[in-house]
Amino acid sequence: MKNPWIEYQDSLNRRRLLQRSTSAISVAAMAGLMARDSVAQNAAADQLTHFAPRARRIVYLFQSGGPSHLELFDYKPGLGRRHGSELPDSIRQGQRLTGMTSGQKSFPVIAPKFNFRRAGQAGTWISELLPHTAKVMDEICLIRSVHTEAINHDPAITFIQTGSQQPGRPSLGAWLSYGLGSEAEDLPAFAVMISHGSGSDANQGLLERLWGSGFLPSSHQGIKLRSSGDAVLYLSDPPGIDRDLRRTMLDGLGKLNEQQLKQSGDPEIVTRIAQYEMAFRMQASVPDLTDLTMESAQTFKRYGDDARKPGTFAANCLLARRMLERGVRCVQLYHRGWDQHGGIPTNIPKQAHDIDQPQAALITDLKQRGMLEDTLVVWAGEFGRSVYGQGGLKVDYGRDHHGRCFSIWLAGGGIRPGIVHGETDDYGYNIVHDPVHIHDLNATILHTLGYDHKRLTFRFQGRDYRLTDVHGDVVSDVLS
Amino acid sequence: MLQYLFFMLFAICHAAVCAVASVPAKIDFNRDVRPILSNHCWSCHGPDQDAREAGLRLDLRDAALAKTESGVRPIVPGDVTLSALVARIEAHDDQQMPPESFQKRLSAVQREILKRWIVEGAPYAIHWAFVVPQRPPRPVAGQTGWARNEIDEFVLRQLEGTGLTPADEASRETWLRRVTLDLTGLPPTPADRQAFLSNSSPNAYEDVVDHLLESPRHAERLAMHWLDAARYADTNGYNNDELRTLWPWRDWVINAFARNLPYDQFLIEQLAGDLLPDATIGQKVATGFNRNHVLTTEGGIIEEEYRVEYVADRVHTTATVFMGLSLQCARCHDHKYDPFSQREYYQFAAFFNNIPDKVVGYSKGKMAEPLLKLPSPAQQEEQDRLESRRDELSALLETRSVQIGAELLKWEASLTPEQIKAISAASGDASAADATDAEAAESTDRIREILSTVGANRSADQIECLEAWYLEHIDAISKEWQTERAEILELLKKLDDSIPVTMVMAEMSPRRSTHILRRGEYDQPGEEVQAGVPAALSGPSHTSANRLAMARWLTDPQHPLTARVAVNRWWTLLFGAGLVETLEDFGVQGTPPSHPELLDWLATELIRRNWNTREMLKLMVLSATYRQTSDVTPQKLERDPGNRLLARGSRYRLAAETVRDNALAISGLLIDRIGGPSVKPYQPAGLWEDVSVERREKYTPDIGDGLYRRSMYTFWKRTCPPPAMTAFDAPDRETCVIRRARTNTPLQALVLLNDPTYVEAARKFAERVLLQPGSDEEHFQSAFEMALCRSPKLNEIAVLKSVLRAAKKHFSNDSAAAEKLLTTGHSPSTDRIAVTDLAAWTTVTSLILNLDETISKI
Repeated sequence: MKNPWIEYQDSLNRRRLLQRSTSAISVAAMAGLMARDSVAQNAAADQLTHFAPRARRIVYLFQSGGPSHLELFDYKPGLGRRHGSELPDSIRQGQRLTGMTSGQKSFPVIAPKFNFRRAGQAGTWISELLPHTAKVMDEICLIRSVHTEAINHDPAITFIQTGSQQPGRPSLGAWLSYGLGSEAEDLPAFAVMISHGSGSDANQGLLERLWGSGFLPSSHQGIKLRSSGDAVLYLSDPPGIDRDLRRTMLDGLGKLNEQQLKQSGDPEIVTRIAQYEMAFRMQASVPDLTDLTMESAQTFKRYGDDARKPGTFAANCLLARRMLERGVRCVQLYHRGWDQHGGIPTNIPKQAHDIDQPQAALITDLKQRGMLEDTLVVWAGEFGRSVYGQGGLKVDYGRDHHGRCFSIWLAGGGIRPGIVHGETDDYGYNIVHDPVHIHDLNATILHTLGYDHKRLTFRFQGRDYRLTDVHGDVVSDVLS
Repeated sequence: MLQYLFFMLFAICHAAVCAVASVPAKIDFNRDVRPILSNHCWSCHGPDQDAREAGLRLDLRDAALAKTESGVRPIVPGDVTLSALVARIEAHDDQQMPPESFQKRLSAVQREILKRWIVEGAPYAIHWAFVVPQRPPRPVAGQTGWARNEIDEFVLRQLEGTGLTPADEASRETWLRRVTLDLTGLPPTPADRQAFLSNSSPNAYEDVVDHLLESPRHAERLAMHWLDAARYADTNGYNNDELRTLWPWRDWVINAFARNLPYDQFLIEQLAGDLLPDATIGQKVATGFNRNHVLTTEGGIIEEEYRVEYVADRVHTTATVFMGLSLQCARCHDHKYDPFSQREYYQFAAFFNNIPDKVVGYSKGKMAEPLLKLPSPAQQEEQDRLESRRDELSALLETRSVQIGAELLKWEASLTPEQIKAISAASGDASAADATDAEAAESTDRIREILSTVGANRSADQIECLEAWYLEHIDAISKEWQTERAEILELLKKLDDSIPVTMVMAEMSPRRSTHILRRGEYDQPGEEVQAGVPAALSGPSHTSANRLAMARWLTDPQHPLTARVAVNRWWTLLFGAGLVETLEDFGVQGTPPSHPELLDWLATELIRRNWNTREMLKLMVLSATYRQTSDVTPQKLERDPGNRLLARGSRYRLAAETVRDNALAISGLLIDRIGGPSVKPYQPAGLWEDVSVERREKYTPDIGDGLYRRSMYTFWKRTCPPPAMTAFDAPDRETCVIRRARTNTPLQALVLLNDPTYVEAARKFAERVLLQPGSDEEHFQSAFEMALCRSPKLNEIAVLKSVLRAAKKHFSNDSAAAEKLLTTGHSPSTDRIAVTDLAAWTTVTSLILNLDETISKI
């Protein structure tokens, strides 16, 4: 007679095996870097997404430090005549401030030093600091009403990237890797690149958790593509070993592993063999990816001269395009240096210059290649900056963190181009129309990629976790 | 090969298709019904009263049987048609439960189970893990002669009726390598192998185990595993991520395992060592366990917000590590699945809320109070010596000061007006006063003024001032003493700065009040609560409600979870998966134990053996279950792919640290020093600069021994953990992790092929092999013995030979390439082997270090 207890265990185990270690077995995993597990299991569907995706890949241009919406995207013409006046209590509403300004006796309004111009068919106001971006405004959906509860960098950046202010959750890219798997034969599903801004000496820290896998299998963590040393860590053969010898050695390794497989019958060895082959291919595909010599002069003209300098935001944008072309699902750029507590008049033009031409070029480039329609482009920082000056009224003014409203933009797959969503008050301090919470933004990002944010879940410690915790509404107004 | 691969795929896909659960003959509430109710119903009809819909709760039988607000009975025992629940789960309209929007539909089998359960009278039962484990009777063995101890009897019992039988015994060599890696995290040496193979005593296996358990390497191995659970790191985490000193706590853990400190003491000292009567330094250091959490020093943060986070982290970690509970789920609302209310969460949090910890600002410091200084014996001796000399000098100076009256008068009488003027003008050659700073100038001005005042007219203040000045500037003896004292104070300060300081727990008085925080938020305090433990787990009550009482409650033999969770964790160390697979969740959403009786037998045995960790490990590794071969047939793999029934040995990749330690040991590079500050082995340049504040942190690899210590001593920076560790699934240590994923990626291949650590290890491994006289065959033999604890097979030798031949050809054609290969790593190369030979052999040994078998426990 069958033992029901054992049967029950068995069914559970089978299911769990499939969930846990499909990476060891599935064809997808053998072809790609990433574990193609779980979503199909959780969604009980053949397809990897919940519904037809509008975007098949994402490039996230993260502006680390909290770029000032007041200098860049949120035009407040009334600030000029209010310059130097005290921020009214009716606007401040006594909400919490960071310890850096909460002790200030006075909160003088600072008008941005820079002019705004109309751009695109809709005549959207945009800063003179972003002339190239202005030219592609018809492709961009500008959201001026994003908000977050966090008021400091670590919690804010962790929140927007992982859906929680505290450490421990998977990053957006890891969720997408978990969901989408890899399309690339020999590149990671989720790649990360970092550039250092020229507009601030006081960069706050970045954290590996921002592209970490949290409680998802670690194969979903973002892989850093570096501008010095090996582009991917440990990519190069050691000195003295050439490709032929490496091939000979790997052939021998493969044979011995096969013999071990015959002896032990452990399917994990099949995966191991495949992963060594993948590693060998990556040793060719990654240098091919990072080799920009075949890019045309016109391309460099488009992205700007900085694109020839490894490690710049411009070079990273160009590399991002090359990765997206090769099937990388999620490319995350971090541009550091936006934490401008002081020196905005001097520094923000430099930061803006770093990003303006390359990001506009990326949009144009993707469009020309027919890729913009199914590539989601996201531009965001972890929060905006305060309308009042940090340390009072100064010529070389700075602004404190501000989470109650800030501007981000989206473009590409599934996004309504050329619109502005959301509105803030005359001070750029509070939202007056269409607030978009961090969870709403993340729900919307997942939506364009074919996921119901409530159903992209992973069971950990008894709970089905998701990127948006128990919140989030898709912002349908920004969808095309 | 390909054929095999396709077979594997087929087998797995086939298993997936066939994995349709069926309805068991007799319904068991805990096994069959609870998972359905918990996962599909209790979110809205469970313990959380704020989330409860329609006033209906299905987690308690009385409530589920009672009439609801709308007048129906959800469950009528024995009657499916009268049970409103059945109508709702079978509905297809807006009456359907769970509703479409909940995204968790019931399967046909699940609906059938619920119906059958109602037919059978809808009995409820307490979740197994909340019931005190009872010692099960020993099963009567079916297959005689196989079982070596009780563990095997329980395993055999579970195998009955499955068609599976235990696998053959693994070879002696396989077992030796397995048990050595499991108990010490290092491979056996060829000498260990030789000794074991030639030991025909019936106690041979036991002798090996006893020897390994006594080894300091064993203590390190258990501690290594504990570091994830305790979220140990060498930096604070968060934005600024500065250096901290908690390695004394890490060394305490190693020492505790080396002493085989009983598990209950191990727990008590880490949770509440500071509260033990006459607590030793060690017991205080042990409480660093709950100071290992991340710590922010970011500018502008709101201190209370983070203090509350630290308390939450301690609750989360303590509950997860020691009880396998997700208590943190009750922080913002009542637990959705397990019987813990939000109030109980804050009662438990109150144990950890009475710490006088101060959130430190960016510029103020790197660690938060309470702190403990830990001088080494030599430092202590030096400090005592200096302090005693300092006190001696102070006493001498004091005495001197009352003796100088006559001398002072004599000196004053000897002064000419010019000399007095000189004191004030150029600070006086006689005075040696430093007139460069204004204070000194002022002081000499004052002295001049006093000197020009007639003795009788001087105030007491003036007299005192003059005496002090005389002692400091004129009196030769006291000047000498003062100079020496100043030097000593300087030395003491230097010494003090060099003494390690670690973070510990302490209690504050009066107690800080604890409040229920609405939605878990620091600025939303509600009702005040007193410290207490969850009612669902309450065993005997303890009178005083502090951390020590809580720790004693945890280690009470009547606690339903502590012993089970402990033995399950050790089981996982040896078998790769827990009897309860979800190590971190013994609650109702966790997986039920594969061998419930074995788990309870082990738990009660642990208590019977006075919480003796080492004896429990010994029991496990000497079982026949542990001795089985991990070789598996396709049939067996299909029948039990995850090896939950333990009808074979387990085969899986080594942990990140062990992958590296194994290579270092095989190559002879490993430095076996225990403990101390963390070290910095090779790491690609630039990683810290990429992420650190102002790009100010730089990683500078050590020179010498620090490159070759066990990986548990590798410096752990939370915002940028060692990449060769995270590639093999080491967590970032920002939060407590007690079960690592086990992935298999090309990045791992790149690390093992190209990381200088492994290239150097291959070179030194090749040297070790070649420095023994012998033929190529003999060298392959010794290489395999070192790396795999076995002899190579003929077909393996053939493959290695052809690689060696190709490599020799490559390097003899290009000796510069050989030279280059041998430059990797700081350790010098021997000059007793020809460069081309060594380079060619380095290729072969690198291959061996990359074998799946080398990085796996088989």
